Amino acid sequence: MTNSSTQGNLLLDVKGLKKYFPIRRGILQKIVGYVKAVDDVTFFLHQKETLSLVGESGCGKTTTSRCILRAISPTEGSVLYHSGGGKTVDMAGVHPSGLHALRKEMQMIFQDPFASLNPRMTLLDIVGEPLLVHGEKRASVRAERVAELLRLVGLRPEYLRRYPHAFSGGQRQRIGIARALALNPRLVVADEPVSALDVSVQAQILNLMLDLQDKLGLTYLFVAHDLSVVRHISDRVAVMYVGRIVETAKTEELFSRPLHPYTEALLSAVPKPDPRLRSERIVLQGEVADPANPPPGCYFNPRCAYAVDACRSQTPQQREASPGHFVSCHRAEELRLRGVVTAGHA
Amino acid sequence: MSDINSAADTILSVRDLKTYFFQDEGTVKAVDGASFDVRAGKTLGIVGESGCGKSVTTQSILRLVEKPGRIVNGEIFLHKADGSVRNLVQLPPNGSEMRAVRGGDIGLVFQEPMTSFSPVHTIGDQITEAIMLHLPVNKKEARKIGIEALRSVGIPKPERRIDEYSFELSGGLRQRAMISVALSCKPRLLIADEPTTALDVTTQAQILDLLRKLQNENGMAIMLITHNLGVVAEMADDVVVMYLGRVVEQGPVDDIFHSPQHPYTRALLQSIPSIDSQPRVKLPTISGSIPHPYNRPSGCSFYPRCESCIKGQCEKAEPKLIAVNDHQKVSCFLYEEQK
Repeated sequence: MTNSSTQGNLLLDVKGLKKYFPIRRGILQKIVGYVKAVDDVTFFLHQKETLSLVGESGCGKTTTSRCILRAISPTEGSVLYHSGGGKTVDMAGVHPSGLHALRKEMQMIFQDPFASLNPRMTLLDIVGEPLLVHGEKRASVRAERVAELLRLVGLRPEYLRRYPHAFSGGQRQRIGIARALALNPRLVVADEPVSALDVSVQAQILNLMLDLQDKLGLTYLFVAHDLSVVRHISDRVAVMYVGRIVETAKTEELFSRPLHPYTEALLSAVPKPDPRLRSERIVLQGEVADPANPPPGCYFNPRCAYAVDACRSQTPQQREASPGHFVSCHRAEELRLRGVVTAGHA
Repeated sequence: MSDINSAADTILSVRDLKTYFFQDEGTVKAVDGASFDVRAGKTLGIVGESGCGKSVTTQSILRLVEKPGRIVNGEIFLHKADGSVRNLVQLPPNGSEMRAVRGGDIGLVFQEPMTSFSPVHTIGDQITEAIMLHLPVNKKEARKIGIEALRSVGIPKPERRIDEYSFELSGGLRQRAMISVALSCKPRLLIADEPTTALDVTTQAQILDLLRKLQNENGMAIMLITHNLGVVAEMADDVVVMYLGRVVEQGPVDDIFHSPQHPYTRALLQSIPSIDSQPRVKLPTISGSIPHPYNRPSGCSFYPRCESCIKGQCEKAEPKLIAVNDHQKVSCFLYEEQK
């Protein structure tokens, strides 16, 4: 099924990942149902590439990324991680005692640079903490490494003894990136790393992330809701809707030839910074389905303009419509959907 | 200065508005000499990044500036439906006339629909309160108007929704309810302060469409405050670009996006990742970051980040907002020299 997954150097292979959160009611806290935050998610990630998980709030993109890091334990499925030592481990099943060593190889960049840095720690402590946790006891070595990291992310090493409050949002995000890179990770999960930043600063951070990827050979799993940002940074994009991936493809391909109606609607909903392009938008009716009580069949069917009877009864399976382009839609082959035109081709 | 009480279709004119916050650490010049007009039935987009003074401008217009803030200079002319013109700066902020303006002549939609509704009152309580404050109706009639207002913004089953609390509504519905409260008394100007920032893109598209539909039906003017250039390009007729409390450029939307004159506008437009740009190509950036309001640069406040900065001039004097052609105004020394 996943032909393309065998090409290249696979870093991560996620299969059938599920995370259900129980809903409890009453004095006895009886389980009355489940919120299907992540519901059968399958995708893979090559080394040194950037895959973006896109979707609207509540679609399960953050939960997916947390399951991969095993910050929370998935309900079902496997997360095969090909570690630096050539071993393959299932992040979903590995014993908690084995996680410490693995986490050295996977780090996270957080969304809010104001909330994710401890205001009572200096940069030296913040960026050096992962080193300490992973056994670097010599303070001088840590200080040297922190200074090197600060230079790497474009901050002056003299800032070592300062506290986060002295820095702007963009600078704080650089600190967060430096901390994530402290242990030379192979996989970096970035959860909305630029959405809290000002427009003029976003570009700086995105450029920095692209630079670091080239320099250090990083693999990014990029979680975001902003399609323009996603387009800018990703090699491939996976679109999620109510806990499921509806479409995965190379960035260009997904934006120019979407195969899933939800992707089409999402692309057309993004306001384009050009008043001459006030196009006819597809405005989706209704609301995102409730993950505790999703509709039968394709979760998108109540809002889909192309839905037929099959969509209301059968769950579409993910399949490879063209090489590297995965989609779960009953009508993917027959529909001709509208993408966005690349600048320069217009 | 013939444009002060300019064209007949102007509904709101702001002239040289200065709102300062006097704090122990120093004075924050949140708005420092802003001038612009809102035309009747049109949409004015005010764009800028954090700290540019766009929200304080709104608060000043509605006279909601809180201490230690104060309007220290300028005029805000509101052209009322009966043809009279009032300078809002001269009205007492808590007086009856100002209270009639807020919600009556000018409706307001906030950014955060979650925090701007009271969690202990139903949507209905809050909407009828606004209606009864401005219209001579009793509770029953107000409720009827409220249900109609909810229906007009596309809330399904408004008879039932009106008795729900704000937390029972989704983000999109809550913002619709917010808009219906703002529009319940048929204001001639709607100020929308980041109305879609907290929403998802598909919900944002719904709300923007709704605002446009309501504008076509009621002919109200909209002052749309946002940092999202895409939203401005979609919605606005005219655009005001602000940076650190000053207007750096203003003009029709097409000119702002297709022939931006001020270096800041230009750099801002280049630095945004666009949905139709080439993937994985580096973006041009604006160097540095927005200065802290306490240590704002002297002269033109953009000069430390400006590529076209003229040494010896930009850091010394403040450029004035001047017309560069018949519809665009820019405050930059690059254009003063040409004159």
